[in-house]
Amino acid sequence: MKEEVRNLTTQLAVIGSGIAGFAASIFAVRRNIAVAQIGNTGAVAYTTGYLDLLGKEDGSPAAVIDPWQALDTLAATQPDHPLAKIPAADIRRSFTEFTAFLGECGIAYGKPQDHNVTALTPAGTLKQTLCVPATMAAGPRAYAEKMPCVIIDFNGLKGFSGRQVAANLQDRWPGLTTERIGFPDMSHGEIYPEVMARALEVPATREKLADLLKKAAGEAQVIGLPAVLGMHRPDHVKAELERLTGLTIFEIPTMPPSVPGIRLREMFEQVLPEKGVTLIPQQKVTALSFDSGAATLCLCDSFGPIRLRAETVILATGRFLSGGLEAGLTGIREPLLDLPVTQPESRAHWYCDRYTDSRGHAIHRAGIEIDSSFRPLMTGGRPYSERLFAAGVILAHQDWIRGRSGAGIAIATAYKAVEAAERFLSSSSSS
Amino acid sequence: MMQEQTIATEVLIIGGGVTGAGVMRDLSLRGLHTLLVDKRDLCAGASGGNHGLLHSGARYVSNDPHSAGECRQENELLKKLAPQCVEQTGGLFVAVEGDDPGFAEYFPHLCRQVAISCEEIAISEAKRLEPHLSDRIFKVYRVADATIDPFRLALENVAHASAASGSRYLPHTEILGFEIADGEIRAALCRDTRTNSLLRVVAKQYVNAGGAWAMDISRLAGCTDVNLLYSKGTLLVSHDRMTRHVINRLRLPGDGDILVPGGTVSVLGTTSVRTMNLENIRPTVAEIDLNVKEGAAMIPALATARYIRAFSRVRPLLQCNLGDDDREAKRGFALLDHTSQGLANFCTITGGKLTTFRLMAEKTADLVAARLGNNEPCTTTSVPLPDGEACRWTEPGASPKYWYHANNADDMILCECEMVPQSAIDEIVKGAPGAEKEMTLEAIALRSRAGKGPCQGSFCGIRICSYLYDRGYYRDASGLRHMRDFFNERFKGQKTVIWGQQAAQMELAEALHCGLLGLDTLEEE
Amino acid sequence: MADSTIPTINFKEKAMELLPEGASFEACLTCGLCSSGCPASGIENMDPRKFIRMAMLGMDAELSQTPWVWCCTQCKRCQHVCPMNIDISQLVFLARGNWPQDKKPSGIVRSCQMIRSTDSTSAMGLPPADFVFVVEDVLQEVRETQPAFRHLQAPMDKTGAFFFVNQNSREPMSEPDEMVPLWKIFDLVGADWTYSSKGWAAENFCMFSGDEEAWYEVIRKRVDAVSELGCKVWLNTECGHSYYTMWHGLKRFGLAADFALESLITYYARWIREGKLPVNSRWNTRKIKFTVQDPCMIVRKAYGESIALDMRFVVKSLVGEENFIDMQPNRSANYCCGGGGGFLQAGMTDHRRTYGKRKFDQIAATGAAYVLTPCHNCHSQMEDIGHFYGGSYGVVHFWTLICLSLGILGENERTYLGPDLLALID
Repeated sequence: MKEEVRNLTTQLAVIGSGIAGFAASIFAVRRNIAVAQIGNTGAVAYTTGYLDLLGKEDGSPAAVIDPWQALDTLAATQPDHPLAKIPAADIRRSFTEFTAFLGECGIAYGKPQDHNVTALTPAGTLKQTLCVPATMAAGPRAYAEKMPCVIIDFNGLKGFSGRQVAANLQDRWPGLTTERIGFPDMSHGEIYPEVMARALEVPATREKLADLLKKAAGEAQVIGLPAVLGMHRPDHVKAELERLTGLTIFEIPTMPPSVPGIRLREMFEQVLPEKGVTLIPQQKVTALSFDSGAATLCLCDSFGPIRLRAETVILATGRFLSGGLEAGLTGIREPLLDLPVTQPESRAHWYCDRYTDSRGHAIHRAGIEIDSSFRPLMTGGRPYSERLFAAGVILAHQDWIRGRSGAGIAIATAYKAVEAAERFLSSSSSS
Repeated sequence: MMQEQTIATEVLIIGGGVTGAGVMRDLSLRGLHTLLVDKRDLCAGASGGNHGLLHSGARYVSNDPHSAGECRQENELLKKLAPQCVEQTGGLFVAVEGDDPGFAEYFPHLCRQVAISCEEIAISEAKRLEPHLSDRIFKVYRVADATIDPFRLALENVAHASAASGSRYLPHTEILGFEIADGEIRAALCRDTRTNSLLRVVAKQYVNAGGAWAMDISRLAGCTDVNLLYSKGTLLVSHDRMTRHVINRLRLPGDGDILVPGGTVSVLGTTSVRTMNLENIRPTVAEIDLNVKEGAAMIPALATARYIRAFSRVRPLLQCNLGDDDREAKRGFALLDHTSQGLANFCTITGGKLTTFRLMAEKTADLVAARLGNNEPCTTTSVPLPDGEACRWTEPGASPKYWYHANNADDMILCECEMVPQSAIDEIVKGAPGAEKEMTLEAIALRSRAGKGPCQGSFCGIRICSYLYDRGYYRDASGLRHMRDFFNERFKGQKTVIWGQQAAQMELAEALHCGLLGLDTLEEE
Repeated sequence: MADSTIPTINFKEKAMELLPEGASFEACLTCGLCSSGCPASGIENMDPRKFIRMAMLGMDAELSQTPWVWCCTQCKRCQHVCPMNIDISQLVFLARGNWPQDKKPSGIVRSCQMIRSTDSTSAMGLPPADFVFVVEDVLQEVRETQPAFRHLQAPMDKTGAFFFVNQNSREPMSEPDEMVPLWKIFDLVGADWTYSSKGWAAENFCMFSGDEEAWYEVIRKRVDAVSELGCKVWLNTECGHSYYTMWHGLKRFGLAADFALESLITYYARWIREGKLPVNSRWNTRKIKFTVQDPCMIVRKAYGESIALDMRFVVKSLVGEENFIDMQPNRSANYCCGGGGGFLQAGMTDHRRTYGKRKFDQIAATGAAYVLTPCHNCHSQMEDIGHFYGGSYGVVHFWTLICLSLGILGENERTYLGPDLLALID
């Protein structure tokens, strides 16, 4: 059987299937740019559903209440930080556009506001985030107003304990209690949030669960669950359960394997092709080269080789987890193009001695350098190619983990990268 | 206001390494009541930071034949009497191109002189037994090395002592000083390092089995006859087990010489660096790289293996034993009775190695028993070490097999990497040696394999913590601090081996622990 | 079911051998996405993550003997959701093949034996002559009883035909009239096709039994049959694993084939687009709702997205876009229904139905009255779990609905239609 090379062409190739990659495709599609997205999907499944812009400032343990003010400070104190290079208005727009898109696709989000939302975690700690899914929103509200609330957890669900949540929030939220129930038809052994979420897409399961929830709620009007409110139509599942129980319900993200990230992945992989994105999921680009006319990407799927010619490319391949950067014994490299990686002088300097050191670890600030048009730079400061752009946490000079800024960096830099690519495309087409 | 409690016992043993635990058992079997204390927990010193090698003795034939002979005897005894702690892996000594061929030729002669079995095997046979061996080896001998689990060893010794005479073990109990009068120690003053409460122990005899800390402890008692130097050793643990046998380099002892199977992983080491510090001992990148480089000469796959953890501990070296090179130091032990220091009821046991712990304990117990007028003989050469309650969970591969064959879907696995179920955690917090009302995650992990797999506790720490809250065992924010402390403790071992796949694992872990759970910004008590 | 007569495989070593670097067991983060997304999780107290860990912990005896390997259908969903792309199913296949013949589920073994017993390669043991006879017999009846099709063809052994069409044994053995809709479709589009008396059957239980040699033998026979007739395209009937065992088998065994492998779905879509198959949804006046089942063997494991898109194009053309409700998840992320991997023949009914609960929930969530699927095993399993869990949906093949839409579905070709659909025909 012959395996022929399939030749595709596009205006923009997005390499990477994380938040940055998907955001770039969304922004491109809305600007009528023909886009193809490639990348080995998987890590987006770990995301929690919370969209962080900036949750913590360097050197201060205090929670950031006003991320926009914190961004101003950032611009002054860390001018190399990717978010420092983006006007606040653009950041706002990028979040608004991104969350609006998610809402259109059945995962409604709160709009970005002037301040962070104090959100809940499965450990019973609190977290500052900018945008919270609608299915989670009642939790922060109930906390802020200290409403009587019952955290429900389930027999057989590992890693989520209502008692843990209640024990750690009780001082600040005296009306918080917990009840444990069994999930309908899953009485034995361990259960996964994914399985529960999908079961709740079936009306009969919702009815059974609603009965149990009503009993467990007692006098409280608000209940919190681990994130299991449906997979494909979470807003609908939540609304239905609220209708059946007469209660206000919210969910709390769980440890992996967790539902909110899987929701996003499945949604993106379904919706983007419908909107015209050529999506080649599950595949890694094996070679990337540039000539005067275009970029050429080589990859394979089960049919055989694919050769994609793109006028512009956005590199949004992430960091170590997703393979955008590789940490070797002697240093960190960027494997696709061997772009120079700004990094600590040696492996001995990658990590502090203490894991939870408030300074964070220098390895996370390693990454690739970009110019004001979000183009990766060579040593010496010139862009690698006029048609190559980069977005997401592959960029240097940020610690998305400690800064609680992963989604913010991904979405805002994707926005700017697409903007720059669009400029290039229109200037090259008019010349 | 600090409350003070007093406990009476016959013998206070300071130091919860295998030697201290061994002394505890030996004395308990002679009918004596003992109290064992450690300022941290079992095997917090060299006992918990070695290869886990039960020496055939062959390693010492060139520089310390006396120790080699002791190892041979103890090796045979422990295989017979503590089989649950031992895996009879066998060992190979391999010489690689560039190593001294003269040494390689002379080696069996040295072994014969101390009756240590040493059999040359063909290179082809060696490669068949161990496919990972380098193609550049030119000489291979087989010896009776085995591996031993020091954690289980300590736990079983303590458990047996408790069963035999009601002896007790107190973790996180630090010696602050001694009350001395008329040439005798009247009491030891201790502090619970977790609660800061004080404890006064009144005993008839006091044993210093403090390992590398023995010098400091003896000075607290006014003794100046314990003179130690400290040698730091660093080892690393690979993601999976690479060889069946212990693999030794056939040359004078050097860095990265030994690759020891540890059940389901392999342990590579070691380096040797003189240090002044006893606390805050951490592996360095340079030490890791050196071990990998040297080890790869014997087993090339070590250069590209995935490592999950590295650790460093301090070996105490008796100054009188030292030569030019710390490695040449005789690994014999010393038992000091301190009569020259004017104390009649204090002794220090120091030096030595894991393999000879029982012998060290025997000598110490003989002295202590004699001082107490107890004429019971030592029975540790004949009485097997029984399986203690909740002591079995440190054995690599034990809890997966247990869980699988128990086939109970409701006994959920909390540590997926090492397959440690809820019931193991229950058993440990209820009745393992050192179990108490609120154990730290680290203490629980020490008594099991939880956190020892590829994720190094980053997932199971969360699951176990949640489970302990479910059980009402943790009831407030201290549970979160235990979780954070657990991850910090695990990290000490991970820091220098984070590259390749481990970097991906760590990124996910930190995103979870800090990004989501905020363990880096927990409020202090 | 511990059994010491099953030899022990060193799974850790084998994983390193079989799986690509960076995507083998040592790359596992133990995150649990695989277990969370696997319908076999919990059966025999096993799941994909445990499989990997047990291999790394050296529990080779247990892994070699666990019956779980007969419950994992090797659907590769674990690989699909794994950020490291670890393909556990390859080790499951290895484990299956390692079981002594007399310990394997007898149903699967027997089916493989039957396949090897005649030149038909039929799991029901239908010899070539009988197959030829059944086809002729049914054809005769159609010509006599359905005037519009008095010239209908069902070519046999036609040298040089463009399409070599295979046939799942279920139809000729137990419901021969179900072969007819496809003949009518070929007739309508003017396809130049043929059956073959040799190597005609679609199913391949030899792969399911983990028997590589036997799998190869079957593929070899079928390839030879196609070559002998000189056909350009081997056109796979509505059967999932028949496509996969051939497609993957050619690669695995390095067999040269100078014909293309195609699925009926691809051609349905093409013929509809070209206007050769003038289906439409006007018949669906009651707006009956349909969903579609993406067979793992054709979509995730083989063709991927393109065939899934073609399938949806076909469905929407047949029933009306507004009457199509997609299952969630779908396409390459779809759940295996539990019909594949020999599960239907393994005699592990309870496990199979436990496995199928997720599929039932998926279908129930759509609220659809019918599931369309181009796979026999999916068809049988979804029917069975539908009855078991008290569902009210039906399962139909594409050819049935195509002919229904064209108003040419014969009286005896309506077995799988419920009263609601039957009411819409004349």
